[in-house]
Amino acid sequence: MNGLYIICEARGEEFRPATYELLAAARAITAATGGEVTAVVAGPEVTLKAKLEGLAHRVVTLTAPELTPFSADSWVDALAAAIGAGAPRAVLFGEGGRTREVMPRLAARLGAWALSNCVDLRVNGGGADAVGGSTGAGATDGLGGASAAGAAAADGGSALEISRPVYGGKAYVTNLVPADGLLLAAFRPHSFDAGMAPAGLSTAAEEVAAPVAVSRVELVERREGGPRKADLTEAAVVVTGGRGMKGPENFGLLEDLAAALEGAVGYSRALVDAGLAEHAYQVGKSGKTVSPTLYIACGVSGAIHHIMGMDTAKVVVAINTDPTAPIFEYADYGVVGDVLQVLPALTEQVRAATS
Amino acid sequence: MRVVVLVKEVPDLEAAVKVTGDGSGLEVEKRRGLNFFDEIAVEAALKLKESHGAVTAAVGASAGAGVEAMRRAVAMGIETPLLVDDPALDGADSLTIARALAAAVALEPTDLVIAGKQATDDEAGLVGPMVAEILGMPCATRAIGLEVEDGSVLVTREIDGGEEVVRLPLPALITAEKGLAEPRVPGMAGTMKAMKVQIERTDLAALGVQAHPVLPVVAYRTVGQRPPVTMIEGEPADAAAELVRLLRQEAKVL
Ligand SMILES: Cc1cc2nc3c(=O)[nH]c(=O)nc-3n(C[C@H](O)[C@H](O)[C@H](O)COP(=O)(O)OP(=O)(O)OC[C@H]3O[C@@H](n4cnc5c(N)ncnc54)[C@H](O)[C@@H]3O)c2cc1C
Repeated sequence: MNGLYIICEARGEEFRPATYELLAAARAITAATGGEVTAVVAGPEVTLKAKLEGLAHRVVTLTAPELTPFSADSWVDALAAAIGAGAPRAVLFGEGGRTREVMPRLAARLGAWALSNCVDLRVNGGGADAVGGSTGAGATDGLGGASAAGAAAADGGSALEISRPVYGGKAYVTNLVPADGLLLAAFRPHSFDAGMAPAGLSTAAEEVAAPVAVSRVELVERREGGPRKADLTEAAVVVTGGRGMKGPENFGLLEDLAAALEGAVGYSRALVDAGLAEHAYQVGKSGKTVSPTLYIACGVSGAIHHIMGMDTAKVVVAINTDPTAPIFEYADYGVVGDVLQVLPALTEQVRAATS
Repeated sequence: MRVVVLVKEVPDLEAAVKVTGDGSGLEVEKRRGLNFFDEIAVEAALKLKESHGAVTAAVGASAGAGVEAMRRAVAMGIETPLLVDDPALDGADSLTIARALAAAVALEPTDLVIAGKQATDDEAGLVGPMVAEILGMPCATRAIGLEVEDGSVLVTREIDGGEEVVRLPLPALITAEKGLAEPRVPGMAGTMKAMKVQIERTDLAALGVQAHPVLPVVAYRTVGQRPPVTMIEGEPADAAAELVRLLRQEAKVL
């Protein structure tokens, strides 16, 4: 089977950008390998399914009442049934908290392979040059087209290759997706360009009504942050403050720039450990991994633990008073200067340029 | 109450990683220790030992390694270390590791399993929830707070964009996020004990675990270097204007 399943995920009334990115990648790949793209929507997201028209060959909706609101127990049951029925070659998820609850358990249930943190999926030797991650970071450049084509699917079918960083991004590994067997894979946001493959497919609809267990986990209370803060790992632009921001009285400068760029604000561990910012917004090894299109590090020195959380960003800007700060080695553009002066000027210029 | 911590030995965060010449393998400097998030899990278990008289154990799975991590857990205060040591675990698939750990946990009735949120080497976060699934336990990931009450645990956890409090019936599995507990530094007595401790060992055959096949590796690559940084000179206002111009016209991200 050559089919690819995409597990769609929404934030509020819209699907995550990752959902559209994965659908586009799957369309590009199946155009080369054959097989169908199936979008799977479950629970609260079923109401959004019209947005998937043309983007997949098939939309499968899972409608059991236990799926709303999201609970891992019920979702694992429902997805296992849907995936089992369709026997795809691979199931693609967007990286995120929900995926990390569901995907490993599905893999254990179905006896499947599971990979987290993926940044690229491509056809090897299929001549489908158009198929490849658009992820930036030069990081993925040169990852595909690896030499071991001899390992390609023995049945003469086209082989799929999947890549991800390991050891905090110190190396990348590319695996072959076997033609027999099931792979579940979670992709970081911005791994693909949502426009990389034409839409306009004729989309069939199907409903899977398998019995689903009631969650054993009882929700006592949920506290959700504001919409801007919610999107750190998802945001296309991340503006991060480090110790060079001095104190919370200056954090408004980060928020202003982030707002002008429609991005999110992150913090270094130095500020989190000092009790000035919340851990949920810490970028780095012991915080969040972000992979935005644009990352702006403000008064961050560039310790390896910090770099590990942002090195797959496509374009990196660093602002630091110290021209020898290590962050400049990981940046595309550097400004030597005081963040307290550069940030307001930058925000003003961005506003002028984008209004 | 028995609390089992899943522990993984990983290369130090600073360990050098090199791709071998032809891209067929990785050379990782042999400086190893207990995974950052597992250390937090160990501390959370020790808190339950102190507050609820819990009996604590640590289980790990690896091929000819893992002793460093076990010793650290024991030095901190874990009573029973158990290592699944089997050549078949070298480079094994996550599901094989999870099956091995689950079988080792299940050797004795267990009330609570605590794993780290993820390991710092592959950052995959797969094994914890897989073990929960195999053992049929409910699971809460990314715990930052934990209270044991009669037959259940109340877990505060990070979710995308916020926090939630959930209650799980025991037995259950949780994974530890930074903030759940502040790992203690082992004292002299603990360190001495860890040096002498007999680490119990078992293997896949004894546990009746079947390995899941590994995904074939096509190649390893080093990180694509970024082109050299472009430094932007000038007064803040001029530098900002030039930066915006470059981001729009050269990088095309605005
Ligand atoms: C196990 C472990 C895990 C870790 N995990 C993380 C993690 O997840 N995330 C993380 O960030 N760190 C992490 N760290 C910590 C990391 O090693 C660094 O200590 C931390 O990133 C430093 O934060 P910083 O860059 O804000 O501060 P500093 O290193 O103090 O750097 C401040 C920078 O600001 C510059 N500066 C000062 N004033 C100004 C000004 N007015 N304008 C412009 N620049 C100015 C300085 O030149 C300096 O470069 C971890 C460490 C360990 C050991």
